[in-house]
Amino acid sequence: MKNRFPRWVFGLLAIGTLVLVPFLYLKPTSTPARQAASHLPIKGAHVDHRDIVKGDFKTGPDVTRACLACHKDAASELMKTTHWTWESRAVNVPWRKEAVTIGKINQINNFCIGAQGNENKCMACHAGYGWEAGKAAQQSKPENVDCLACHAEAAIYNKGLFGNPAPSTDLLAAARSVRATTRENCGKCHFDGGGGNGVKHGDLDESLYFPGRSLDVHMGGKHNMQCSDCHVARKHQILGLMLADNYTIDPAEQVSCEQCHSGKVHQDERIGTHLKAVACQTCHIPAIAREEPTKVAWDWSKAGRKGREDDHYSYLKIKGEFSYEANFAPAYRWFNGNNEYRYLLGDPISRDGPTHINKPAGAIADPNARIFPFKVHTAKQPYDKVNGYLLQPITAGANGYWTNFNWDQAFELAVPVTGLAYSGRYGFTETVMYWASTHMVQSADKALSCDACHSATGKPGRMDWAALGYPGDPIKWGGRKLP
Amino acid sequence: MNKLKHLCVIGAAVLPSAAALAAPSATTHTAKPAPPAAIKTLHPNFALLDAQGTNVLTSGQAVSPMKSCGQCHDTAFIASHSFHVDLGLQSFGSWNKTWHSSPGLFGQWDPLRYRYLSQAGDERLDLSTAGWLMLNGDRVVGGGPATTSRGGKPLTTLKPGAGDPETSLLAANGARTAWQWAESGTMETNCFLCHLEKPDLAARKAAIRDGRFGDASTATLSGLGIVQAAAQGWAWNRAAFTTEGLIDSRKLAIQDPTNANCAACHGEVHEAGDQPLQISACDLDYPQTATTGQVMAAQRMSASAVNLAGKGTLQRAWDVHAERQLQCTDCHHALNNPAHVNDAKGSNPAHLRYDPRTLDIGKYLERPDHNFARGQSAQVHVAPKGKGTMRRCENCHDASASHGNWLPYVETHIKTLACESCHIPKMHAPAIEAVDWTGLAADGQPAKSCRGVDGEPGDVRSLVTGFEPVLMKRTQIDGGALLAPYNLITTFYWVYDDARSGKRPVRLADLRAAYLDGQAHAADIVAAFDSNRDGVVAADELRIDSPQKEAAVKARLSALGLKNVRMEGQVQPFSINHNVTRGKFALNDCAACHRNGSRVDQGMQLAGFAPVTPGFDTANNVSASGDVVRRSDGSLHYRPAPVRDAVYVFGASRIGLVDAFGALAFVGTLLGVSGHGLMRYLAWRRRPHVPLQTRPVQMYDAYRRFWHWLQAISVLALLFTGLVIHRPDIFGAISFPATVTLHNVLAAILVINAALSLFYHLATERMREYIPRPYGFIDDSMRQTKYYVSGIFKGEPHPFEKRPDDRMNPIQKLTYFGILNVLLPLQIVTGALMWGMQRWPEAAAALGGLPLLGPAHSLLAWLFGCFIVGHVYLTTTGPTPLEGIRAMVTGTEEVEVHEQAPGH
Repeated sequence: MKNRFPRWVFGLLAIGTLVLVPFLYLKPTSTPARQAASHLPIKGAHVDHRDIVKGDFKTGPDVTRACLACHKDAASELMKTTHWTWESRAVNVPWRKEAVTIGKINQINNFCIGAQGNENKCMACHAGYGWEAGKAAQQSKPENVDCLACHAEAAIYNKGLFGNPAPSTDLLAAARSVRATTRENCGKCHFDGGGGNGVKHGDLDESLYFPGRSLDVHMGGKHNMQCSDCHVARKHQILGLMLADNYTIDPAEQVSCEQCHSGKVHQDERIGTHLKAVACQTCHIPAIAREEPTKVAWDWSKAGRKGREDDHYSYLKIKGEFSYEANFAPAYRWFNGNNEYRYLLGDPISRDGPTHINKPAGAIADPNARIFPFKVHTAKQPYDKVNGYLLQPITAGANGYWTNFNWDQAFELAVPVTGLAYSGRYGFTETVMYWASTHMVQSADKALSCDACHSATGKPGRMDWAALGYPGDPIKWGGRKLP
Repeated sequence: MNKLKHLCVIGAAVLPSAAALAAPSATTHTAKPAPPAAIKTLHPNFALLDAQGTNVLTSGQAVSPMKSCGQCHDTAFIASHSFHVDLGLQSFGSWNKTWHSSPGLFGQWDPLRYRYLSQAGDERLDLSTAGWLMLNGDRVVGGGPATTSRGGKPLTTLKPGAGDPETSLLAANGARTAWQWAESGTMETNCFLCHLEKPDLAARKAAIRDGRFGDASTATLSGLGIVQAAAQGWAWNRAAFTTEGLIDSRKLAIQDPTNANCAACHGEVHEAGDQPLQISACDLDYPQTATTGQVMAAQRMSASAVNLAGKGTLQRAWDVHAERQLQCTDCHHALNNPAHVNDAKGSNPAHLRYDPRTLDIGKYLERPDHNFARGQSAQVHVAPKGKGTMRRCENCHDASASHGNWLPYVETHIKTLACESCHIPKMHAPAIEAVDWTGLAADGQPAKSCRGVDGEPGDVRSLVTGFEPVLMKRTQIDGGALLAPYNLITTFYWVYDDARSGKRPVRLADLRAAYLDGQAHAADIVAAFDSNRDGVVAADELRIDSPQKEAAVKARLSALGLKNVRMEGQVQPFSINHNVTRGKFALNDCAACHRNGSRVDQGMQLAGFAPVTPGFDTANNVSASGDVVRRSDGSLHYRPAPVRDAVYVFGASRIGLVDAFGALAFVGTLLGVSGHGLMRYLAWRRRPHVPLQTRPVQMYDAYRRFWHWLQAISVLALLFTGLVIHRPDIFGAISFPATVTLHNVLAAILVINAALSLFYHLATERMREYIPRPYGFIDDSMRQTKYYVSGIFKGEPHPFEKRPDDRMNPIQKLTYFGILNVLLPLQIVTGALMWGMQRWPEAAAALGGLPLLGPAHSLLAWLFGCFIVGHVYLTTTGPTPLEGIRAMVTGTEEVEVHEQAPGH
């Protein structure tokens, strides 16, 4: 009967609005739920390759050719990345006229020192085969890409000399086992860097294969995150750059907590006031090398002594004397993500104090810098007494130091490989290297609390305020004043 | 003196610059953090003087802090301006005509420790001054009663006599001996105790326990390499002094008092960072923790070594202020400290926010007032001049900023509850529950029960469950009253009448003599108490739960000469102000208080067994308005009665009678209208169906419809939300704070709507329609009533025609008159005052406060409910049942055509 819209509906709507609007404006708010897990990358479904991969594989490149038959772009993608090139992009550094590249391929560190000329041993951690042919030949062939190192079941695939598969490896079984990368794949190289479990990084070691929640909140417990969940890979370009092998790092290429943890992550406003000066890692990584010890000092000068017994944790004839530590507090420095200095082959050593292999950039007045935890590794490594630069010995191979225990020979053999002249006189000098600690993250209940760094009575905590540039404990003196 | 002052000033200038020059340069970086810098102190080196004023290096005597520190600081001023020193001595006397002789530690009888400081004239001696010092001295700073007599003279000038409680001692064998003050020396105010980083408390305690009071201050310096006890006197280590004979201040490490210093006497404070905290539960060597369960530690509870129930979930620090590195002195500061002076309540003019004219730091250091700011705890009579001088929560925190967006009625909550009530939701350490001194075990100890722990308190395997403090009303010094958390400790003890002094507690020595024979119970006691005849009086047998047991003990005590022996008990409240948590862990769920059986009326057990009903200790600012209830298993419980403290909590408090009456009325109305309706239906069925002649009339204009429905929806929603607020335990799924906000929003809408409508009716003179004409009113009402009672069943037409300008029959007019002029205004006023408790507290209190307004509001709500039922039913009395409602929606009503004369 009424063929027009009943007008009383407007009245009803008006009443509804009148009631709801003030209520919604005034009603008590509730806190939003955490959504970090929603930012995890979505991975493709696993495709079982057991029926797909056929054939007899005699060499590593054989397998790669089979992979490339379907995954046509995989090799070319990988060959653009640092896992293949082992060097950074060219960068300009203030102390050199030309641009330089930094990487394991051409620079040194203060662990095993350098890979150049030691390819037969060192390339066991390269994602490629065929280093026996020399660098130019190796790097130019797509079939030298080692797909299995990252994609095969880590337990059944091992690499040997020159990056080639170990002789006992069943390549067919390995090829059939391929799947998305797991911690086992990444850890095979990254947990054992520096020549053994946990030697190098301090926050990456074999305890992360089966971590508990209290070892790492992401990789342990119910989340069981894989490396690729944070180090997201697109077209084989893996997110994340190592401080050791770079000068400046673009934040867009670096893994950061904010990839998943964005917004108001701390309910406690007092913690919120720290975020401009303190990195997430500082409070959430109270200790490094929590379960397995890491190497903190390495004295090459003691290597080669006769009659001294080898012991994994204190002395090896081939390597010298060293010390390990476990579950200790990291060192804290201002850090804005870059290096202030990275030792390049041929750079002069420091004459007052240790030579920095790398030095994190940042200072109290740098608004981009935050206090960040580092593992510090000091070493005594060889240098050229006349030329005044660090030397890279040939250690592996038939004529290397590890066979002949002859430093001079080791340095002579390196001359054509590294391009560094050797004067014939060597010595040992102190070096120091900084490794950013960013794994073995703790959940909120195990993170640092106020009294770890601050103290009302002035007792020293883990922060050396004076070294960081503060006049004293910021609780009493106030925080840094940025320009 | 001047020269030393010079030294102080120069030192103050030189030392900072020296520190700057010595700033560390870039050091070698290692994996470990840089080693701590050597302790620097601003304090100049000074000579340690003995009591005669001679350098101790010369005399080899004990050091006198008063003389040594007195070289720069006015120690006489300090000692006379400190309650820590005075301990009630200045008000010593027959204070309050009770057995307490002062308001302080020296003179208050503490039933927990039981020993009694005897007064002059007492026939028996328990603790003399010397005995009191030997027992309690390690928690006494020195000076005050430790050096001065009750009459104000130095103790050393008194004549020693066994009869004088000031100069005697009760020996272990019960004999009274004279105490030679000249030999033992007296304890001066010991600056070292609080101002050293590492005072040697153990050595000091040993000296005091031995009665060597004169050595107490020097003993405090042991362990620093400065002095050692020698065969005769003290051997001062020359190497610790400078060539001028001054002590190296860095060796002493003089500092402002830290939490560790306060903890030496007061209780559990845990300073060491990573070491898991351990608690000595219910141990009176840690008084604050033992009496309240408070633990001042920055550590997370889940990282401690205590066997806490639910430890994995307790991931917060024991105390948030300790976590944030506040020190005791940040709140309990010296009253003339210029850094804190503007917090002390002064008499600034109203417009002045901050007065920069403060005491010069140098002058302050010369005469620091050691009366520290204190709050308003249950120990309210201690340091009476300092009451309420402390910085309280509101001096640092702005509650409306942090609570404003989630807590309705913020100010009402703040005015009713102390911050601690919600921010100290639970104590996680055990505390003493009851101490029963009416019976002694074979080792001479009383029966002590500990709350918050399952099992023996000292056993590491016992589960520490913690306890929730009871909320009791505390009267502030400004007259206001707040609910605050307390622990209640109940003590039972024997008392007797002293011949001259009145009631006294039975001395421990006498109690021991009555109960024990050497190291075991006396035969009489065993005979009376040993119910299972095993020759041993076990803990559960030791209770005085029968007249025979009481008589047995009474006999033994009377045999010692004690007159009128009887048992008494008291319940003492102990304030809980520490162990504060952040809001996230505080009581932030409305249901904690706003429901039946909430925290507000949650009591606690007073004692597992009570030989006698205790009385409440009323000599404090706590209102013990609740009931002491004895349960069937013999345990004693305290049950709060918040209504007696004029505390009315929505959802928790209610008057059962009001709800019962209201519900009855509502159900009755429902039944009435159902019955009436049923009868109408049956009558309609039996009647021939004659279609009623109707014509459409524009009955209600748009405004009238709008305001009617807005009113109707508001009232219905208000009734429903009101019911949710009144009974939140039934409607647990609905959010309480959201409902409260909705109720307030609707109430505001209702008031505005009603006010506008009232204005409209007055301005347009439509109010006439609501007013029944007095002439012929009774007759017309009777006609209408008769219609409802009989005519309606017969299908008769309505007696009065409904016209747009005369829509209501006489009964309707009367009803609405009552509703709109009585019920609605009353409901609005009670509601507004309930909401306005925070803004106009005097108005609300004048009309009875919440305890009256709340139930009145509930009763009126029930009546409104009845009205709604009746009103909706009566709309069905039109030509068709739904015509009335339809008309109020569309505005046009089908009205019965009347031949009768209109009007009435």
